Amino acid sequence: MANYHPTDELLMAFSAGQLPNALGLMLACHIEHCPDCQRKMHQFNELGGNILDSLEPLALDEGAIGKLLERLDEPEPVVEKVEMLPGIPRPLQRFMPAHYDNLAWQGMSSSLKEFTLDIDDDRYTTKLFRIAAGKQLPEHTHKGNEFTLVMKGSFSDKTCNYHAGDFVLADTSTRHQPQAANDSDCICLAVMDAPLKLTGTFGRMLNPFMR
Amino acid sequence: MNSLPLTKSRVALQNCDPKPCVDRSLTTNVTDYSSSSLEDLIAAISEKRDKRAFVELFKQTSPRLKAFAMQCGANVSDAEEIVQECMLNVWRKAHTFKPKSGTAITWLYTIIRNRRIDFARKNRHETVSSDDMWLEESGDELESQVHHDLSGEKARSLLDALPNEQKQVVYKVYFEGKPHSEISKDLELPLGTIKSRLRLAMNKLEILAKEQMSWLIIILLMNF
Repeated sequence: MANYHPTDELLMAFSAGQLPNALGLMLACHIEHCPDCQRKMHQFNELGGNILDSLEPLALDEGAIGKLLERLDEPEPVVEKVEMLPGIPRPLQRFMPAHYDNLAWQGMSSSLKEFTLDIDDDRYTTKLFRIAAGKQLPEHTHKGNEFTLVMKGSFSDKTCNYHAGDFVLADTSTRHQPQAANDSDCICLAVMDAPLKLTGTFGRMLNPFMR
Repeated sequence: MNSLPLTKSRVALQNCDPKPCVDRSLTTNVTDYSSSSLEDLIAAISEKRDKRAFVELFKQTSPRLKAFAMQCGANVSDAEEIVQECMLNVWRKAHTFKPKSGTAITWLYTIIRNRRIDFARKNRHETVSSDDMWLEESGDELESQVHHDLSGEKARSLLDALPNEQKQVVYKVYFEGKPHSEISKDLELPLGTIKSRLRLAMNKLEILAKEQMSWLIIILLMNF
């Protein structure tokens, strides 16, 4: 079970349907396996129900009910079935072209590879990162917010260990050198609004290639 | 020769058969829905595919659904279309409503929210849909049942537990989805005030949730 969760403010915005696509999908992935956040989501939905209930009613167009009744017997739209990739959270299924092992990973170094997911979003880019088992990334900070969800394996930085399901927020004040655990590669979903900015000497050299 | 009267009597029987049926249906099968709860209306739609229950549900809820869409920024004609889509979904998905996992209004909220989002996304030709983010609403049945029993009345609604100044910020989050900095500009209040009001609202909700949990434990203990 996850130890690190999205903030209540993010969960509320998710329940309100007000998060950008990329971040919304990431929260959905976390919530799928997190009973605590499911409970909170339930409560925020209930609050949404209360809000709906509290609104001043607005009369509908006179013909609205007639139009609707005519449509009731229309055949339901056919939902395209996606073949489920095992081990991938449901919200990401439609956006993953293949399982982790078969993705066309790209990257400059053997320790860090990335794969960009095609998710429409005005503000955020969505990527999968793969840190090789036991490898440590060069120290870096972030130009903006970066939300990370551990999908598989685990990584640690100076202060914490993060495992599958953990939701981590890094921002401009975060300066860290994440290291994957020795036993397996660590795969993370990352939603970011600005490219990584590396800080160490080695990092500065790598930086132009790591965007 | 004998067969004729027999046939006749069959015809006669058939002819008079429907009549008592109609009469019976007037008294027992045709329910007066005007004072039914939203929960009962949805059950009638799901189990009997009853269009009269559907019309009643439409009467009772669609004006608020329209108000919701407009609060979220839709113009009148878009709001009408979003309500159409929402009610069409109610008709098709009534069987997914589980009274044990929440109230009807919460279920309707999740449907109007999703239709509102998908309406906006369709216009922007985006591939992400609400189906990717939300499975049909399902929750911890026991926990919500307890809450349901304790808070059947409007006075116990989560919203009513919040003071007006916190409510105002919460409304902004649900309807406008603005970052806190923009809410602060809109309301001409310092950012810190917005954040602390939202935090206070969260704390209050958390206390209510814990209260529900303790009731749950008490009820479970009483059952043993």
